[in-house]
Amino acid sequence: MTRLTGFLPPALARPFNAVGAALLVIAALLPWATFLLNDGAFPDKATLQFFDAPLAVTGFRWQLLLIGVAALVLAFVRIPGQGRVLRALGWGGLAIGVVGAIFIASEGGGLGAITAADGTTAFGSIVAVLGGVALVLGSTALGIPDIPDWPTRFFGLSGWPLRLAAWVVLVVAFGGVLYLVSLTLTAGGIGGAADPYAGPIFLAFLGFAGALLGALHGAGVTRWVSRLSEEHRGFSILVLVACAFALPFTEAGSQYWMQVAATIGVYAATAIGLNIVVGLAGLLDLGYVAFLGIGAFVAANLSGAGASALGWDLPFPVAALIAAAVAGVFGAIVGSPTLRVRGDYLAIVTLAFGEIFYRSAQNDIGELTGGASAIPGIPPISMFGTAFNEPLELFGAELPSGVLYYFLIVLVVAAIMAVFANLKNSRMGRAWIAIREDEDAARAMGIRTGKAKILAFLVGATLAGLAGAIFVHKLGTASYESFQFLESVTLLAAVILGGMGTIPGAVLGASLLFVLPEKLREFDEYRLLVFGLALILIMRFRPQGLVPDRVRRAELAGETAMGKSIEEAEEQAVLEHEEALSAQKEDRR
Amino acid sequence: MNAARHSAETVLEASGVTMVFGGLTALNDVSLSLPEGRIVGLIGPNGAGKTTFFNCLTGLYTPTRGAVRLRGKELPHDPAKVTTAGIARTFQNIRLFPNMSVLENVLVGRHIRMRQGPLASLFHGPGFRRDERRAREKSLELLEFVGLRGVEDEVARNLPYGDQRRLEIARALATEPDVLLLDEPTAGMNPQETEDARQLIFRIRETGISVVVIEHDTKFIFSLCDTVSVLVQGEVLVEGSPDVVREDPRVIEAYLGKPREEVEAEVAEAAAHHGADHQGPAAGRRDDA
Amino acid sequence: MTTLLQQIANGLVQGATIGLIALGYTMVYGIIQLINFAHGEVFMVGTFGALAVYRWVLPESVQDQWYVALPLMLLGGIVVAVVVAVLMERFAYRPLRNAPRLAPLITALGVSVALQEVVRLWFPDAEAAQSFPRVFVDAQVDLGPVQISATGLLLIVVSVVLSVLLQTYVNRSRMGRAMRATSQDRDTARLMGVNPDRVIVLTFVLGAALAGVAGVLYGAHLNSVDTNDGFQTGIFAFTAAVLGGIGSLRGAVIGAFIIGLIKTLGGQYLPGGTQYDYVWIFVVLILVLVFRPQGLFGEAERVRA
Repeated sequence: MTRLTGFLPPALARPFNAVGAALLVIAALLPWATFLLNDGAFPDKATLQFFDAPLAVTGFRWQLLLIGVAALVLAFVRIPGQGRVLRALGWGGLAIGVVGAIFIASEGGGLGAITAADGTTAFGSIVAVLGGVALVLGSTALGIPDIPDWPTRFFGLSGWPLRLAAWVVLVVAFGGVLYLVSLTLTAGGIGGAADPYAGPIFLAFLGFAGALLGALHGAGVTRWVSRLSEEHRGFSILVLVACAFALPFTEAGSQYWMQVAATIGVYAATAIGLNIVVGLAGLLDLGYVAFLGIGAFVAANLSGAGASALGWDLPFPVAALIAAAVAGVFGAIVGSPTLRVRGDYLAIVTLAFGEIFYRSAQNDIGELTGGASAIPGIPPISMFGTAFNEPLELFGAELPSGVLYYFLIVLVVAAIMAVFANLKNSRMGRAWIAIREDEDAARAMGIRTGKAKILAFLVGATLAGLAGAIFVHKLGTASYESFQFLESVTLLAAVILGGMGTIPGAVLGASLLFVLPEKLREFDEYRLLVFGLALILIMRFRPQGLVPDRVRRAELAGETAMGKSIEEAEEQAVLEHEEALSAQKEDRR
Repeated sequence: MNAARHSAETVLEASGVTMVFGGLTALNDVSLSLPEGRIVGLIGPNGAGKTTFFNCLTGLYTPTRGAVRLRGKELPHDPAKVTTAGIARTFQNIRLFPNMSVLENVLVGRHIRMRQGPLASLFHGPGFRRDERRAREKSLELLEFVGLRGVEDEVARNLPYGDQRRLEIARALATEPDVLLLDEPTAGMNPQETEDARQLIFRIRETGISVVVIEHDTKFIFSLCDTVSVLVQGEVLVEGSPDVVREDPRVIEAYLGKPREEVEAEVAEAAAHHGADHQGPAAGRRDDA
Repeated sequence: MTTLLQQIANGLVQGATIGLIALGYTMVYGIIQLINFAHGEVFMVGTFGALAVYRWVLPESVQDQWYVALPLMLLGGIVVAVVVAVLMERFAYRPLRNAPRLAPLITALGVSVALQEVVRLWFPDAEAAQSFPRVFVDAQVDLGPVQISATGLLLIVVSVVLSVLLQTYVNRSRMGRAMRATSQDRDTARLMGVNPDRVIVLTFVLGAALAGVAGVLYGAHLNSVDTNDGFQTGIFAFTAAVLGGIGSLRGAVIGAFIIGLIKTLGGQYLPGGTQYDYVWIFVVLILVLVFRPQGLFGEAERVRA
């Protein structure tokens, strides 16, 4: 069934697709910059001459070439979900073209850099943009079909052969994800002076990875894999954790990327906690980072930091548990107004609590937070006779320092994911979702909504507190500056960007929001501006997030209980109202 | 169950319920008693206070005066506690959990009958799984009972209108109530669906649950209920068996306007005397209501 | 005693600023139930608009003649604030009119962050606090034991006068009636021939104009402006609007004066001093929302069923 058609008549679909794909291929082979940019040559031989060395295509050009060739084939071969697949490829090509064009033009001083100047021509990026646009138009003219469903019992297999086959698929799929994560992390290298082109290369790679995943999604592959993984849940978790543990052995296994990955892990863990409050129970929390902060300061004071007024030195697991418990208690306190306050007002109450925490920490309340001078000198976690900031030798591989923190945070994130999934599929989780959907109806089902909401806050805050304990050891310093209002907004944005109520969503959202600034350091000035604009655009164009929850999808996409769009329903309500009114007038007459 | 019906012990008793909003008296001294295993109907024109009365019964509103007793015990003014005590309800404008699956909706109804604490929810031990399995079985039975077996994995908002009403009933039954309150269960239904709903309510009574129904459709109520109360402007006008109520002239006047013969006679008379500027009395009534 | 009176005077000046902003908050929330986090930035943008007029439009000869400079700067501040507010309503909020309520709230946060950054990045030298000219009579007025700057006094007077004018407009004029109707029930208002889009834009315009006035006078009073002044002051204004009862114009202004007094008196007399004055405001905010969410002048909402 075709739901959506494009601007073009279907007859033009194939020509547009073919031409668009061809343009993408050509763009990959054309030069992209007319001269050397200020920071040195644009990577991947951007000044390559047409057909001089077609086989020397690397990096983003290679990715564009792959997209182009795939699109060219698919313009003529029918596959299920074709329109979706081609559209994803088109957007990917467009993204790569736009990123290159904007970057080269802005760094190279104007349009001359991406067109013709000094007797040379370089139309690569423009051709890529044209190709991408043509492909998007052509694919939508082809029609956007429903995502095809693939059976989870395949090739007529059953019993153990089927199970083994499914396992192989899952290993391959998660292995692919691992490879993609490693490539994404390292794409373009570290931002800043070392790799001046980290930003554009990384963004171009995101375009490529997005196109790849979008195409797989459009063809029904990702849905199929996720169904398989649901049917083989235990095995999937095992493979997933194994893959996460394998990351340090890949390209991404440098000290720098391990640190970045561990930081992402901390925020991902916090975001999952927030996801319980916002995604499941539907309670908007604008001061959530305070719980991360409370966990951090409690752990800092219990871990023998010289600057701590308390000066206790407890083993990490004990300190972490206490930190989590204290954060949980504060969560229950912050959540208690939910007994009386709903909706927007609750958001404001949480914001106020967050600000009170921030101000108090800034002023070194009770000499527990160090105030402006922070609590420095927090020793690294030390367990089993190993300090966690040491390098590690494992299976003959030399792993960089920081890798132990990475392993720890992987375990913690896995545990928090399990907590989230278990809660979601339990009496408690269903009660939360029911409250989110319709609080009065939930009460009519006998749910003690007050208790349930406070429990959601308590659980979420506990998880954040635990994350805070790890955070502060990894950082070595606990400073109030890490817990500003903007961090709360960022966490919320991570949950929403990823997709509310889902685990992969929170992790993906946190990863994107915390990797992007690393990669785009030369644009650090514009980080917040882009962030603000991104919030507006996400809410406008994809409020359901990148990985929408089955349950949540419709709600944020603006559909009502009857499956109609809200506008439609409202329009109808108004019409009915008008009819009723005119009927009344008739009656009176 | 049948023995109980003979002795007809009172399950739910509302006495002297009065509800004042601001200066407006929505309910004035309304009493209702529901004998075990019976179906009691509540009819009345729009704005008569039927739903307000339901809200008082279920603890959503705290009545200004009066009390509601379930098997002699006074009910608290908290919807959750009222449901736990054994009263379940549906809503006039269907209020399912639209983005949850059909089965999950019923499972939420099982909430108070499930025995898993927060820790069990966290670790999913054997006790949890047993509890969860039993809840599922019970919920599927209920879906079978209301005729929704086979769509349990659909998202509730995708169900057709009539099925949404049935799901709401299944969800209410999942709380294992003694008394079921149905707020306009056939609103917006076609005759076939209405007939199905009637049969379903009879079958619910067969299981020993007593039912109170609010309805507009008087034909439906008279063919369904053991006794009927007529609520007009917040007060009980008449109470009795359908036959008694149907024939009561006050009811006919208050609820349907004046008796048809009388109206027709009046119109004819008026037309003869005053010409074309006469207003139909029925229409005038409607505006007053 | 002198200290107390002086702090009361300071509190009233702060309250006057907050009040002008709170009026915008309360009107917008009253009509589209949106907590417009970006309203504080409208105030900030107004300040910078006036600063721009002073720096680049006014000839040097009139810069110190307040009866020329001040009106022109007010005009500049109002125009910039109104344009920004109308643009954000049109492009950020209107498309989300029927979306779940979470969406516009987060959009408002995004608009707030973006506006702050736009000014910080592209207003020359705005990375750090900027000095704002003393455009009004540069004198301290003696009121018995209390001293108050002429600009501060002007702020209080303007705030009270404008809020009374606004109240009259909303109560008496045709558009004001349309506003009140829309805030009661948008669909019914539409059926009665009110164009909700126009009413909503008008609400944003009025709110922005008042915030613009507040921005200019606030800058003139403090002689220093910063891009992050807006958010904080905006939250205070929201607190004031809630305290007064959201939707109530009179409540917003009275709430604002109370907030101003809490800030200065709390900073003076409560433990922790000025470092904790913000905390007291947030404590008040929480207490009001929890125990009297309808505020001092609002009506309680009835449970729907």
